[in-house]
Amino acid sequence: MSSFTAPVPPDSLLETLQKAASGTSADAVEIALLGRAGEYTRFAGGRIHQPQNITETQFIVRAVADGHAARAACGTLGDLSATVARAAALAHDLARRAAAAGPATVADPVDISDMSLWHDDTVAFDAGARAALASSAMKQNEAAAGMFGRAVTQMAVVNTAGVAHHTLATEASGSLTATVDEGTSHWIDLHRSAGALGIEQAIARTVSEATAGRGRGPLADGHYTVVLGPQAAGELIGFLPDFGFGGELAAAGVGLLAAPGPGAQVAAPIVTVADDAGFAAGLPIGFDLEGTPKSRVALLDRGRVGAAVTDLTTARELGTASTGHAHIAREEPPRPVAANLVLAPGDETEESLIAGVERGVYVQRFWYTRLVDRVTGTITGVSRDGCFLIENGRLAAPVAGARFTHSVLDLLATVDGLGRDLRSQPVMNVWNGAATAPALRGHNFRFGAAS
Amino acid sequence: MSAHSWGSLADSSTAASILDSALGAVSDKSDFADARLIEAEEMRSYVTLGSDPDERIEQNIGIGVRVLVDGQWGFAARPLGSLTDAVSAAHDAHASAVAMAGHGKPVSLPPREPSSGTYATEVAEDPFAVSTEQRYELLAGWLAAASAPELVAAAQAGINAKRQHRHYADTEGSRQHQHFVETGAMLLVTAHGHGDVQRRSYPNSFHGNTAAAGWEYLSSLSMLEQAARVGEEAVALLTAPMADPGQADVVIGPQQVSLQIHESSGHALELDRILGDEANYAGTSFIRPGDIGSLRYGSPAVTITSDPTVPGTRGSFAFDDEGTPARAFNLIDEGIVRHTLSNRDSAARSGQTLTGAARSDGWGYMPVCFATHVFLQPGQGSLDDLLERMGDGYYIDDNRSWSIDNQRLNFQFGTEVAYEVKRGRRGRLLKNFSYGGITPQFWGSVEAVAGPSEFRSYGYPCGKGEPKQWGFLSHGAAPMLVRDLRIGVA
Repeated sequence: MSSFTAPVPPDSLLETLQKAASGTSADAVEIALLGRAGEYTRFAGGRIHQPQNITETQFIVRAVADGHAARAACGTLGDLSATVARAAALAHDLARRAAAAGPATVADPVDISDMSLWHDDTVAFDAGARAALASSAMKQNEAAAGMFGRAVTQMAVVNTAGVAHHTLATEASGSLTATVDEGTSHWIDLHRSAGALGIEQAIARTVSEATAGRGRGPLADGHYTVVLGPQAAGELIGFLPDFGFGGELAAAGVGLLAAPGPGAQVAAPIVTVADDAGFAAGLPIGFDLEGTPKSRVALLDRGRVGAAVTDLTTARELGTASTGHAHIAREEPPRPVAANLVLAPGDETEESLIAGVERGVYVQRFWYTRLVDRVTGTITGVSRDGCFLIENGRLAAPVAGARFTHSVLDLLATVDGLGRDLRSQPVMNVWNGAATAPALRGHNFRFGAAS
Repeated sequence: MSAHSWGSLADSSTAASILDSALGAVSDKSDFADARLIEAEEMRSYVTLGSDPDERIEQNIGIGVRVLVDGQWGFAARPLGSLTDAVSAAHDAHASAVAMAGHGKPVSLPPREPSSGTYATEVAEDPFAVSTEQRYELLAGWLAAASAPELVAAAQAGINAKRQHRHYADTEGSRQHQHFVETGAMLLVTAHGHGDVQRRSYPNSFHGNTAAAGWEYLSSLSMLEQAARVGEEAVALLTAPMADPGQADVVIGPQQVSLQIHESSGHALELDRILGDEANYAGTSFIRPGDIGSLRYGSPAVTITSDPTVPGTRGSFAFDDEGTPARAFNLIDEGIVRHTLSNRDSAARSGQTLTGAARSDGWGYMPVCFATHVFLQPGQGSLDDLLERMGDGYYIDDNRSWSIDNQRLNFQFGTEVAYEVKRGRRGRLLKNFSYGGITPQFWGSVEAVAGPSEFRSYGYPCGKGEPKQWGFLSHGAAPMLVRDLRIGVA
């Protein structure tokens, strides 16, 4: 069995990368290592159907010549020197055909505050422990399907201006769907610490919720007071960057930062959503692939429009400093990304949020949510899994999933209660990305397709 | 020099030697083992309005080994720095299978005759041999054309190319060597003004369009003239009216039909979903194993085929990622469900036909059921004939938003553009068009499909599995006429 170690031996790694970066004719070079050695125990249909041990490494080299940048990437240290040369050649090629010097630079060195991302309980979360939990889930619920995993995440960035950061982080993940007749329930969480996931309790709770979901009926179209569980709430805040809090939209003058602009009240005063890699939830790492320390950026600060996340390019266009959110998604151009979104918790329990509702709906989870209108913040999707009517402050009859089309901003403007317990879920196509949220209570949420 | 003569794994014998080393480490203690050794290189060039160009090229090489021990799977993958990595991956895969002993029902694969061979994408001009200058001259032209209208706030153009050596071997004796090249382009325009934000894209709203072909593919796209069109349309949409909600007849253009196929046909017909393997992540299907062979899924005008032997698409290959030779199957035949997209594991467990749809994202992930080149068989006539047949209604195309439930049943899609159609003639441009429905009712309302001259193919990325892996596939369609569709739902 593979040992739980760094994908690339850390001894002398920074020196090796610095040496590789310095050996070219480019004006500046930056090298980022993104590595993960992961072990995943996936189960469904009464068996562990996909046990996987996956080690992936990518060395991304960005070379700058006369202010023009190009990237080349490879998978192994052995190919790094050639890759640095390739990036430099590409950059020179761009510089030669450009009419003038370009604006590209690399980050200046800045100290990063130390945050331990290594947890021994995740080290102990080995194949045997994960298989035992999978078996337990399938014993408690014959139709259980899920995945338990652990990984060592490794990230290093060096550049010729003196940046040199390296971190090793543990990563624990768990997810489970329980099905009892037509009743279903889903749980998911991510954390650097396996112990923080509380998997045994999550299994029991999820099976219990699926059992309570038997006999569910349709949800009538209409406007409802809703209590969104942490996963549903997290899904909604994941849309905020699309409303203009990504640097490239802000630079184009599109979104809330352009109009109504910073400081405008667009959500309830108890709503603060920040990208915060210093917050111990999700999968934080303290610097981005350009080597810039990640700043806490409040997208919504007590309901008011805050600021955009940026990388070196968009920060330059906006005339600010990079907030440390450089990212490259597969098959997409590079753009700054909010990878550690956190909706600040309140002090209520889910039960107390529900107790404040005379008639409404509890929504455990949303599915296939998509942006419909960037201006109004409208999205569409369906609710699913453990959803219930709320009657007189208590969960009542289970309800089936239903389509909704509603503005995220409109809902956030009505929030009058936040839970205290947080859960995290991955952000699609973002390396180490997570959205973390508590349960929330909001009003006038519209279920149904037609307006 | 051939477009396939690059890297360190162009030679089949070198690859076979590495694969044999990996399999040799576990063959005498496994019921079955296979290994995929892949070298890939991808180039992406983007230009964005107001920014410096972004140029990147990514290379990786690695091996993934899958073993079956006493009916339990194990899988391990790692980058290939040396031969030791191949053997280590095999040992890790074996150890993970052994650790799973007693944790569930064992799988038994029916024996399969070995099949060996070589396959290579037909390439007229190697996209990796095209100069930087030539790429950026094209991109600059597209960007300038797309951003010419005053209210264009953001515009982006891109060219992408990828080449792969994919080698496969298994303990049944199959030895396969496939060499792929793909080329693509994208254009995305955002207009802002009159209190609205609108987007237009070309040639596909999902990361552009990519085909299994060389540089010659780009000339088939007429990017420059299309760039000017989508720039103007994005701005025109800002002040366009919206369609009234209700029921209407609609001719759906080929890009939007391809997305409809992807979401409501391809995913619904993946056998691992049907069996519940993806219940925790990608979802399930409204189609049950007992429905196969009898369920009416659509009208007699609807025949949907999986055929990876069609050349030139992102879903084209000679062998899938667990070594099954490619073949054509009608998944939906004149409206009836006949076959699924299956792999060996799901076919063995359910007794369904093995259709060779095991796909994986490079070397790093276990193959799962993904679409191949899955397309709607064309009917007859032109788009104009179809509009004439419809009379009054709408013509829509190019996906803007897509949402469908876990079972692939209840969907709501939006398109970037819609045109009012009166007496068979296109009229006003409309914005924010959306439609919704229930999958079998929707496909059951398809009255006609345009002919082969209107057929287009679109390459897609897709996500599935935990950890999530990408699948790369293709869907094709000609425009189709749908009667009495629910529109204006968002």
